[in-house]
Amino acid sequence: MTMRILHLFVIVALIVAAAYVYDIKFEATMQAERLAKVRGEIKRERDAIAALRAEWASLTSPGRIEALAQRHLPLKPLDAFQIDSLANLPERPKPPQSEPADPIAALIGDEDPLPTGSVSEQGGQ
Amino acid sequence: MTQAPETQTLAPKKPLMQRLLYGQNVDRETKSRARVGLVILAFACLYVIISGRLVYLAATSDGQNTRRGGGDIVATARPDILDRNGEVLATDVRMPSLFGEPRRIIDVDEAEELLTATVPDLNPVELRERLSSKKGFVWLKREITKEQQQQIHRLGIPGIGFRSENKRVYPNGASVSHLIGHVNIDNQGIAGIEKWLDRNGLADLHSLGFAKDRQQKPTELAVDLRVQHALRTELLAARDKFKAKAAAGLITNVNTGEIVAMVSVPDYDPNDPREALDKERINRLTTGVYEMGSTFKALTLAMALDSGKFTLGSSVDARFPLQYGRFKINDFHAQRRVLTLPEVFTYSSNIGTARMALALGVEHHKAFLKKMGQLDRLRTEIPESAEPLVPKRWSELNTVTIAFGHGLSVAPLQAVMGISALVNGGKLIPPTFLKRNEEEAAKLARQVIKPETSERMRYLMRLNAEKGSATRAEVKGFYVGGKTGTSEKVVNGRYSKTKLLTSFTAVLPADKPRYLVLIMLDEPQPSAETKGYATSGWNAAPTTGKVIAKVAPMLGIEPRFDLPPADRQILAATASARAR
Repeated sequence: MTMRILHLFVIVALIVAAAYVYDIKFEATMQAERLAKVRGEIKRERDAIAALRAEWASLTSPGRIEALAQRHLPLKPLDAFQIDSLANLPERPKPPQSEPADPIAALIGDEDPLPTGSVSEQGGQ
Repeated sequence: MTQAPETQTLAPKKPLMQRLLYGQNVDRETKSRARVGLVILAFACLYVIISGRLVYLAATSDGQNTRRGGGDIVATARPDILDRNGEVLATDVRMPSLFGEPRRIIDVDEAEELLTATVPDLNPVELRERLSSKKGFVWLKREITKEQQQQIHRLGIPGIGFRSENKRVYPNGASVSHLIGHVNIDNQGIAGIEKWLDRNGLADLHSLGFAKDRQQKPTELAVDLRVQHALRTELLAARDKFKAKAAAGLITNVNTGEIVAMVSVPDYDPNDPREALDKERINRLTTGVYEMGSTFKALTLAMALDSGKFTLGSSVDARFPLQYGRFKINDFHAQRRVLTLPEVFTYSSNIGTARMALALGVEHHKAFLKKMGQLDRLRTEIPESAEPLVPKRWSELNTVTIAFGHGLSVAPLQAVMGISALVNGGKLIPPTFLKRNEEEAAKLARQVIKPETSERMRYLMRLNAEKGSATRAEVKGFYVGGKTGTSEKVVNGRYSKTKLLTSFTAVLPADKPRYLVLIMLDEPQPSAETKGYATSGWNAAPTTGKVIAKVAPMLGIEPRFDLPPADRQILAATASARAR
């Protein structure tokens, strides 16, 4: 009896194992195919990128840009006099002191912490 | 004799097995157990083999042994070539190529007719010949367009197929032709940097069948495409303006030896390399050797200053032409008086330089030029190079003429290397087309003259731009220094008075040199604008000025105005530094 159960168990296990192996095999084939497909796609994409890069390089080659700029733009070559360092730039002048945009608001808002010219003067006195 | 005991030992075993399995007088249960045991054993063996195979596959296979696409056999890929800013100078593009398998073609006439109708530039006679051959595989047309591929595919001719190949394209056309060279139809480098790539292992990769995809590290060059283009535009303009046979220009970083731009016009389009065979289109900077004329005086003066026998205060007698045997050495800008050493340089006195070289002697002169690398073939990455023409017997007369740049022909690149060493603090750095930083350059550098001599040379170069023959090369704001060079070309064994080779070497900026610019014009013609002169100061020098004005901002040189003249900016600065 035990022998029979054992046999039955082994047969079931065999069938399950076979089905499982088949499934794995099928999956593996699918994956391999997908892999090959993606590889091919990557290769095609790389080729396309290379072709586009080559096209970009030829479209942006200095000779072409120069010719186009001369024809369509009023730009002139850079002159040495146009270049200067930041250190030589004079300080930015102080912005002219102007009346607050809303004089009434300035009158009302005595505790207005905004450091505008009029407020600080009042605060000082 | 020896077999007898073996059969005896095996004999009882075999009957045991047989008895267990088939014996009549054995118990049924024992027998079946033995049979089952045998089956278990067989299966166990099988499973051991399977698991062993699994372990083997897991350990060795990395999933790469998938099937390879058919059309890849000849598609050799090359790494991209980029300029120093990463702009593409050369890259690979996939192009279909048309091939035939003559054994599988049924109707040659039909195939030929259909193909020539679709691809008009196919030669019908040649095509028929190829298709009628007995070969298994023939190329019909390399590099057809995608549309043509579609059309031919639709025709459905048996025995005709496509294979995609890598084709090298040069998006910038002729701009960088001499520098990167070109490839042949099989994508093998045959000139310039392309050949260098092949010689540095790429060819081996190809022959082993690797290097098929484009996953190769791109090669970065020292060249700056923008500078290269600007230089080329100016050279083309100058060649037109002065009606010169050829023009060439070179810009190098004096502190690293990097070649930032190199142009020699007329050049060719590397996408159509047939033009490269034309002798007029050679790269004059590396393949040609020339007598550099007065440019060499810079080397002579540096030699004189470095020897310690001459100082900036020395004076040289230039009152009379130098009579040497039947030769008479005269000055172009003859002053007929005793000249100081700086005057010898600014008036470009042949007599003065010749006397200085003579005072130091032939052997000293020869040794100095050898040290400066002017007597040996200069080899760089690109295969094109030329041996300098050195006189076989070096007499005093040779020293006299070589002192002012005649009688010794060198490749211009070589002269540039020597003059860079004169201004960069005395370090001779072999030039390179690849990126290099200052530390790497310092390792390769060789101290050839004293740093003080180098300072004095910078002073002389700048002085020359302030009040000498190089005034027309001055560009406001960039503190240019330079030396003109005009040499007469040898025609039928004699120096010609009308066929000149003019050159200009500029240092930029002269007080702290970073770049050296060499401009060379081959047989420039005098015109009304140049007041009838065809010497360097009238054509090569102003061209250099224009080039510098254009490229200096690109090279990141900050313009400075109102700098004091050379004696205060260069000499006084170093003198005070030494006093401290």
